[in-house]
Amino acid sequence: MKARIPPPLGLVARALVGAVLVYAGATKAAGPAEEFAIIIGSYDVMPRDMVLTAAAFLPWVEILLGWSLILGLRLRAAAAGAGALFAAFLLALLSALLRGIPLPNCGCFGDAAHFTPLQALLLDLGLAALCWSAWKSAPARWSLDSWVEGGYTEPAHGKR
Amino acid sequence: MISFDMDRLPRLIASAALVVAASAGSFYAARGSRKPFSPRAPAYRTLGPADAKVTIVEFSDFECPACRVAEAPLRAILKLHDGKVRLVFKHFPLERMHRWARPAAIAAECAGKQGKFWEFHHELYERQAEWASGKSDERLASYAKKLGLDSAAWLACRQDPAVDAAVGADYQDGRNAWVGGTPTFFINGKRFVAALQLSERGAPWVEKELKK
Repeated sequence: MKARIPPPLGLVARALVGAVLVYAGATKAAGPAEEFAIIIGSYDVMPRDMVLTAAAFLPWVEILLGWSLILGLRLRAAAAGAGALFAAFLLALLSALLRGIPLPNCGCFGDAAHFTPLQALLLDLGLAALCWSAWKSAPARWSLDSWVEGGYTEPAHGKR
Repeated sequence: MISFDMDRLPRLIASAALVVAASAGSFYAARGSRKPFSPRAPAYRTLGPADAKVTIVEFSDFECPACRVAEAPLRAILKLHDGKVRLVFKHFPLERMHRWARPAAIAAECAGKQGKFWEFHHELYERQAEWASGKSDERLASYAKKLGLDSAAWLACRQDPAVDAAVGADYQDGRNAWVGGTPTFFINGKRFVAALQLSERGAPWVEKELKK
């Protein structure tokens, strides 16, 4: 599909998904990694000795990707990274559900907000769609990418 | 398409710095100001010598199944290092999830005032499924009776606002320490959450601290 997302829509999409990522990452990064590690461990998708490292590392990936999307730095890479993150989370969630693992808290926002697995699934799909819109909106006029490049050039019609 | 170009490098570095600064800013905004928490508790809620090399501060909720599960590894650590480790119990009733957690904490406090905190504590965890599922008040009273507590004094104590405030102060200590779930253990200040972290990482940490 070659249709380009209108710039204002692309900006809204990347601001929304970026804000969610920054909020989700900051609430978890600010809290103790040991508590987020309990939630990651409950999915049972990675070796136990890696869980605490992932709990300390993942929130920062979310924050950095979130701000990259909001400010438009390496927009396509950030949108692809965020999309990959949501895809990985979807797979972990589905895997846990298929194995009948009870998940009282999806862990999306640490202790700040709790979602049921179904709510988390829907949220994740919505955010993945916004990532796709952000990816399709690049190169974007209102972005750091545009400033780094020394100005915004309107792509040729219908071309990416 | 953005490609790497030396002419653009300063702007790229400045942009990356802006993203990193914004990230750090959002982290500090979410973190807020941290307040110190008091590891102190009344003597009846502590075990082990006051000058022990290792102090375990436990934030726990009597109605929380994970707290009951963590009792076994905790007891194992205390037994293994008998006389060298101090345990301080702090109440952290998760009232949003556990309706009877706070009344149970108050009931245990009142048993503590009659010198039977730990006996009541064990009773609450061993019979958690029983009193947490219904007729809680009656069942808490039956445990007090079984342990030979002065029922009138125990009942009067449960209405005492100072006891409720003491439980509230413990809870606030937990919030200050950013405790979000129970059980959370601080072993000489290092945090371990739930039974698995306590047994897999907490137990070796105790040994390491004792060797210092």
